[in-house]
Amino acid sequence: MVDQLPNRGLETEMLEEMGFSSIDDLFSDLPEHVRMSEPLPLPPPQSEEEIIADARRLLGANLAMGEAVSFLGAGIYRNYVPASVFQLITRGEFLTSYTPYQPEVSQGMLQAMWEFQTLISELVGLPIANLSLYDGSTAAAEALTCAVRVHTRKASQSDTVYISELVPPDRMSVMHNYCQGAGITLKLLKHNADGTLDIDSVHSAAGSCGVYVEQPNPLGILDGGLTQIKEIIGKNTALIVGVQPVSLGLVEAPGNYGADIIVGEGQPFGSPPTGGGPIYGIFACSKPYLRLMPGRIVGRSIDVDGKEAYCLTLSTREQHIRRHRATSNICTNETLIALMGAMHMSLLGPEGLEHLAYRNMTACVLAKQKLSEISGVSVPHISSSHFNEFVIELPRSAADCLKYLDSVGIIGGFDLNRWYNGRTNWLLVSVTDQTKAAEIDLLAAQLAEWCSMKEVVA
Amino acid sequence: MVFDEGGGCLSRLFDFAGGTGMGYSQPEPLLSKNKVALPPNLMRKELPRWPRLSEPEMVRHYTWLSRRNFGIDTGFYPLGSCTMKHNPRVNEVIAQLPGIADIHPHQPEHHLQGLLSIYHEMQHMLAICSGMDDVTLQPVAGAQGEFTAVRCVQEYFRKRGETQRTKVIVPDSAHGTNPASAAMAGYDIVEIPSLENGRIDLEALKAVIDDTVALMMITNPNTLGLFETDVPEASDIVHAAGGQMYYDGANFNAILGRTSPGLMGFDAVHFNLHKTFSQPHGGGGPGSGPIGVKSHLAEFLPSPVVKTRPIVGDEAKFAVDDMWYTWYEPEHTIGKVQQWHGNAGAIIRCWAYYRRYGYGLKDMSEHAVLNANYLRHALHREAKKAGVSHMFVDGAEAEVAKHEFTLSLQPAKEAVGVSAMDVAKGLLDMGYMAPTVYFPLVVPECMMFEPTETESRDTLDTFAKDFAQVLKVDAQTLHEAPITTPVRRVDEVYAARNLCLKHPFDEE
Repeated sequence: MVDQLPNRGLETEMLEEMGFSSIDDLFSDLPEHVRMSEPLPLPPPQSEEEIIADARRLLGANLAMGEAVSFLGAGIYRNYVPASVFQLITRGEFLTSYTPYQPEVSQGMLQAMWEFQTLISELVGLPIANLSLYDGSTAAAEALTCAVRVHTRKASQSDTVYISELVPPDRMSVMHNYCQGAGITLKLLKHNADGTLDIDSVHSAAGSCGVYVEQPNPLGILDGGLTQIKEIIGKNTALIVGVQPVSLGLVEAPGNYGADIIVGEGQPFGSPPTGGGPIYGIFACSKPYLRLMPGRIVGRSIDVDGKEAYCLTLSTREQHIRRHRATSNICTNETLIALMGAMHMSLLGPEGLEHLAYRNMTACVLAKQKLSEISGVSVPHISSSHFNEFVIELPRSAADCLKYLDSVGIIGGFDLNRWYNGRTNWLLVSVTDQTKAAEIDLLAAQLAEWCSMKEVVA
Repeated sequence: MVFDEGGGCLSRLFDFAGGTGMGYSQPEPLLSKNKVALPPNLMRKELPRWPRLSEPEMVRHYTWLSRRNFGIDTGFYPLGSCTMKHNPRVNEVIAQLPGIADIHPHQPEHHLQGLLSIYHEMQHMLAICSGMDDVTLQPVAGAQGEFTAVRCVQEYFRKRGETQRTKVIVPDSAHGTNPASAAMAGYDIVEIPSLENGRIDLEALKAVIDDTVALMMITNPNTLGLFETDVPEASDIVHAAGGQMYYDGANFNAILGRTSPGLMGFDAVHFNLHKTFSQPHGGGGPGSGPIGVKSHLAEFLPSPVVKTRPIVGDEAKFAVDDMWYTWYEPEHTIGKVQQWHGNAGAIIRCWAYYRRYGYGLKDMSEHAVLNANYLRHALHREAKKAGVSHMFVDGAEAEVAKHEFTLSLQPAKEAVGVSAMDVAKGLLDMGYMAPTVYFPLVVPECMMFEPTETESRDTLDTFAKDFAQVLKVDAQTLHEAPITTPVRRVDEVYAARNLCLKHPFDEE
């Protein structure tokens, strides 16, 4: 018995009133040969109590990061979302609403998203932000196609964009899928041995449609050289910067060093890691990109009485109007998660943001120092500033090290051989505002223990 | 206390700029702040002009905003094509468990056997319901599902050397995402006209089909809520020319357990899990848009999908049943369309929703169709009683509708100058969300109703009576509607001409 169908038991009455005798009559338009003849081979319905018991059993078998000691990041980060965010997001008026096509009864979400646009705009230093894309990778991919739409006609390297060679393969794969249809060529920008971008290689990108780099980069390095890029590539090539938004409490907003489009994983603001989704992608840009950018935008307007009111605007870019000439196919986005982000950012305030960034960076400094003291472990980019993560080089493979750490209850980080073939001994260690000093000590002790072992752990 | 007024201390986030505190206290950093060194040119000079709110102020601000928003929880939400069904709250509780909220997509398989088993169960269930052979849960929205399937088909043809297939056919009544998704993959779009009643025109299809066509995309039931009986023939025509058939699952809620895209001859399908399986729509997202494919496309799916294998060695201590769940990379995978493993949190909610129905998913679809037909009947019945039955006609002639149906308000427009939009705004004043208006375009002055299976007969009857009452209201009053909402008709032209996309700090 399913408890979600209020008209169960009323079927016959309702059908008779319409002049039908059975439910089958309502499906009489299905041609015989496409009708399903057997019941669905699925298990019986469950009660709410049974479902929650199964959910607890199955999800309880997953190892939540909070149950272990975790140094895993690489794009998704442990964070703390204030309790009031979770309480407010259960308001059914937000939770169970749909896209605000009727603005008169959707002012709450529209205004909240307009405020979200403002929060993101202020954070990254660009005047325009949309109200979210799916995640950081799709935001980056859409930024590339947007840059080509804007610049390709005047570009000497038309349909070409340059991206940092450190961009993780999974993110690059998303970029490839989004770009190949438009005939866009992705070329790689080299990095120096110290992990920073090879600025000389950026000269080759002049005349292309866009340059995509990340700050901090995928090795956690804050690269001061990125501030020189815009001058090299000029105004006819878009500078696209992928950011970790929390870092911007201390790190200069890329909009202030020439970025034209800024994207990133919004997750640290408002969303727990959740296995990587639903999270939300940040997309912000400067004015020349506005009319060719993807995603929904809210504008402030007035109603017929002249009262302040909000509505979706510039919709003629979107698929429901422009169809195959739309700037993107996106319809459903991540509004609710963006709303959680807005709530979190509102609670932080500017000083709270700065404090949060300090907590991240000091934890990183402490971890780097402690791990670099271990005999057998080196920190290849030790002289750089890092945010959220850094590389350690191990005497043996990172895969073996992770196995050992796992056996003592530590999720030790990310094996960089999975991104960069041949870097078998590189481990990406992530620390966030959630990392405790005692956890760093524990990791250091266990790493020392593993380094001292002669044999590889089976 | 401020309710609906635009002014007042609670209304504007960026008016809270002068506070000194933080909305929540944080622990101190692990080291003193002067231990942090940044390249000098990367030091942020000015913090963002974010507001400074205490927690009580923040809670009141967002509570106030929520009261200016309409959700399914607020009232009846018959928004056609959006499947606004009730969202069971146990799903929300489950989605907050640490075993989903606090897991990382890069954790090893033995940390995530529970998640992988749920993924596997969902892949299996969706394959059964759709008549497909393999499923990926990676796409995070319906449009991304479309794009993913188009990419799989594209790579399939490239591998076969059929690179001359550069076209995708879509009916003119299709959702805008169909042509947009196919164009993003690099296809030329061939739009074919629908028949007058909104159905596929097989002659129009025959006129454009040849070996340059890769794919035809069809929604069934179509966007008018009618079952396309000619789909099997369309499928034969496209397959005979070597093309593939794509099923847009936006209207899947109408047919579960009664028919399937597989039985209709489709090769690939996307599901809007958030619609059919009730992930709350959250003001426009998140969603989840898995796709299913027949076996010839399976090795092109995005990576990874979940497969099973026997348990080896000490894996037993992590296993959730007698199989090991493992990530699998399809041989000719198109790669990734989203960096992680899809919207895991949404998939968990939809799994909980599915578990509540099991094989009873058929009942779900039957009640969705029952309610739609009953509402259509009740709207005509009440209009007759109220003497306003001359104000509208069915958008398309049909003995039965599926999960949704259209009405044309063209007669009202001609008789008294009342448009579908006027009626929609009048319904807002009655405390309802308006049906979808002006879609699909083939119906003049279109209103599209989708009650879903979770509304009671009483609600449908009451709504039908109120709808008739709105049609009795004089034209002038309806042009002025709504008057009871937080704001009245919003000037969208003003918004576009006087772009104000963020708080104008500099003007204050």
